[in-house]
Amino acid sequence: MIHLYALVRGLEELPPLTGIEGAALERRQIGGLDLVVSQTGPELPPVTDEAVLAHASVVEELMARSRAILPARFGRAFANEEELTAAVQTKAPALEHGLSRVRGCVEFGLRVLGHESPRQGSTSLSGVEYMRTRLDEEAERDRLSQELHRPLALLARADARFGGASDDLLHAAYLVPDERTAAFRDRIAGLERLHPELTMVCTGPWPPYSFADSREDA
Amino acid sequence: MSVRDEQQLRYQVTLVELVDRVLNKGVVVAGDITLSVADVDLVYVGLRVLLSSVATLEEQRERTLAAAGARS
Repeated sequence: MIHLYALVRGLEELPPLTGIEGAALERRQIGGLDLVVSQTGPELPPVTDEAVLAHASVVEELMARSRAILPARFGRAFANEEELTAAVQTKAPALEHGLSRVRGCVEFGLRVLGHESPRQGSTSLSGVEYMRTRLDEEAERDRLSQELHRPLALLARADARFGGASDDLLHAAYLVPDERTAAFRDRIAGLERLHPELTMVCTGPWPPYSFADSREDA
Repeated sequence: MSVRDEQQLRYQVTLVELVDRVLNKGVVVAGDITLSVADVDLVYVGLRVLLSSVATLEEQRERTLAAAGARS
């Protein structure tokens, strides 16, 4: 099978490392697009820590050596060259568009961990009072997460907020142009100073994983 | 939170963010679903293993450092 790491633009040469299961990295040119792949065994590579880290390391190194990169999602391999070629050709316009969108940008992740709000004497509240208090708390959380998110989104070319089961106050990703990464970090630091009661974890710069799939266009 | 706890937390969040990106984000070139339901369990097992292996690595590193400190 063929495992795809990423689509790249302006990659001079492959990084000196091996891919999943120690396989050599290879390049493919399909429909004017430049891909980095490696051969795996006859099965889909299993999701192991080593495989995930190998994929991530290759993508990181490719980012450092190219002008634009679209990381591929792990866990989908191609049976043979024909299948890979057909899949890439079918999606070529969207992939070109995706590469143009992320060009010159890196991704930052932000998690603001939810903090317990003090519940003063909640046992003495009536049902209605309790519900009102809970609604107020929810509104306050929304307001606060917007207050944190908005100034960061202003610096980004695109942003994505993730909800789901997480009780984080804010879980988001920002696609930030290279020339604004310093300003972005400064703004994070400013928000941390403003809110010492919150635990904010900013990660990155990442390859633009969260902005690679054009179906999730904001 | 102590500085050490804070560092540990940041490290773990970074790992979770990494695994989340590799497995759940990124472009899907073929329009197919990525992982079957059975695989999703594996992902979470993998993530737990990853996090616990970080904790183990940290412990080993500390023991090594402590041993090195005791020798010098």
